[in-house]
Amino acid sequence: MMIVSVKHLRVYFSSPRGQVKALDDVSLDINKGEIVGLAGESGCGKSTLALAISRLIYPPGRVMGGSVEFDGNDILKLGKEEFRKAYRWKKISMVFQGSMNGFTPVFTIGDQIREVLEIHGYGGDPKARTEELLRMVELDPVVGDRFPHELSGGQKQRAFIAMALAVEPPFLIADEPTTALDVVTQVSIMNLLKKLRREHQISILLITHDLALLSEIVDRVYILYAGKIAESGTAKEIFQEPKHPYTKGLIASIPMLKSSRIEGIPGFMPDLANLPPGCKFSTRCPYVMEVCKKDEPRLYNVKEGQDVACWLY
Amino acid sequence: MLPAGSISESVISINDLKVHFEKKKLLAQPSVVRAVDKVDLEIARGEIVGLVGESGSGKTTLGRAAIGLQKATSGKVFFAKGERTIDVTASKGREWRKLRRDLQIIFQDPFSSIDPNMRVYDALRIPLQSQGVKNKEEVENKILSVFQEVGLPPDILSNFVFQLSGGQRQRVSIARVLLFSPSFVVADEAVSMLDVSLKGDILNILKKIASNYGVAFLFITHEMAVAKVIADRIAVMYLGKIVELAPSVEIVSKPLHPYTQALLQASPTIDPSQKDQIRTVNIRGEIPAAYAHPPGCKFHPRCPFVMDKCRENFPPLKEIERGHYVSCWLY
Repeated sequence: MMIVSVKHLRVYFSSPRGQVKALDDVSLDINKGEIVGLAGESGCGKSTLALAISRLIYPPGRVMGGSVEFDGNDILKLGKEEFRKAYRWKKISMVFQGSMNGFTPVFTIGDQIREVLEIHGYGGDPKARTEELLRMVELDPVVGDRFPHELSGGQKQRAFIAMALAVEPPFLIADEPTTALDVVTQVSIMNLLKKLRREHQISILLITHDLALLSEIVDRVYILYAGKIAESGTAKEIFQEPKHPYTKGLIASIPMLKSSRIEGIPGFMPDLANLPPGCKFSTRCPYVMEVCKKDEPRLYNVKEGQDVACWLY
Repeated sequence: MLPAGSISESVISINDLKVHFEKKKLLAQPSVVRAVDKVDLEIARGEIVGLVGESGSGKTTLGRAAIGLQKATSGKVFFAKGERTIDVTASKGREWRKLRRDLQIIFQDPFSSIDPNMRVYDALRIPLQSQGVKNKEEVENKILSVFQEVGLPPDILSNFVFQLSGGQRQRVSIARVLLFSPSFVVADEAVSMLDVSLKGDILNILKKIASNYGVAFLFITHEMAVAKVIADRIAVMYLGKIVELAPSVEIVSKPLHPYTQALLQASPTIDPSQKDQIRTVNIRGEIPAAYAHPPGCKFHPRCPFVMDKCRENFPPLKEIERGHYVSCWLY
């Protein structure tokens, strides 16, 4: 059962240098209760996708085409107010890298969570619900009486997750939720996401550039490169048998405790306003062929649960 | 004092270094943050020492103090320049200015460490000229050679810094450090802000610089795996103290300190079979506030093996095996 289905989405930004194709014909599905990973380098369009799903694309950005279906309804067709009332926080919640700095410094954590409950018309006892939420993210309920500056980064990030879950959204977008945090805290936040999925059947779109982190939590992964899906598949296929040269390169670039060698992907991602013809990765690909420079490969199903956009297959 | 690979070759010797920050309070006792507390460390020519720890462990302060950018409260840092030994902590005036050539630092954030409105060429020319290299041809040759060293094409020299990507900017920062053929470089989270695909290249460039030119590095990172890839030895820091120091291969295969063990458990691996499992890390809570260090072993409130002794006395850094030091009462 699909909860979110992004179909042929195109989001462009206009800039003095021309049109920046942040997302170009991107399709992605998230099933109920699934944790889906979206990975790629900075500037590949990861966050734009998160913003598009939550209707937060503002000029100079524009949705040029495609749809985002939530339980079968195209949410891009809804009016702004309608979306805000029926979907934002209720059905789709978000946690960002800098979310922990999103709390107002002058109110307590509890006040801010209760405000969300009030605005979204929560019927029960807001005080009890706040405590319950804090417990859910493994924080001591006394944290509700604290001001944001009294908490550590990890605690604030947990508190923000609690707030995002206030009105029980079935779907959470987590965009680099642990990037600014220490490794030990990172593990605990990942454990928390796993627990939320298991105990509350929340579907999660986890966006990060950290593939190692993804590998230990996701069911399926999409690899995004220069606004296009380069490869997608189950975690097992992507991490154990990557097909796309870009995915292979990304995995080889992860520093591992077991080895002292590391490789990078040569070159840099192309300018999104001035993309090369053919395959977008052709400028950096070690296996580049003539065809790659002329024609763009389509996403092609290579085997059960794995799609690749590459002329090698 | 801790021996480096070989004492005679140490470039930097940090001896009993303390950096304390005092926060004055009206009417009350000032609260003291012991950012670096009695640290000894030697780094040899061409050696890369990885300094690993959580935010707030004092890594950056130690790095800054090692090159004289941060005043030490007590203790010394010596820099061996040829036959001479210079006391970095006491240097000032002309000598301090000259030291800037030999002791360099690469910062974490390439977006704030280089003026975005400057042309790349100027970002490299100005430091050279301010250090007295005035000959135009000499300046140009130097800039071209360091540019090649870090793998940047010369045609971007005329670009503005804001036109560069993060990876390119970090290469410019490294090029800038190389202008004066330094002896010792502190790399403070130099790859943390970069994409995975670029990290590898930058790490390889730094490794090459260390081995080709004998530059010593203190490589500060919070990622154990990054330290393992680049460093010869790894020092683990917790609340201002080095709690374990050993060759990289050894510390990863045989971590002794419970904190090092926890950091290793927390390091991600590529393992899709873990997806439904809760990962256990053998550590409790979070790093305490910098002004409220616990008595005894500073790690004891989070340690799974805590004993009575740990609450009272700080364990000295002891050599357990050749070159493997640990500060823990278990050993």
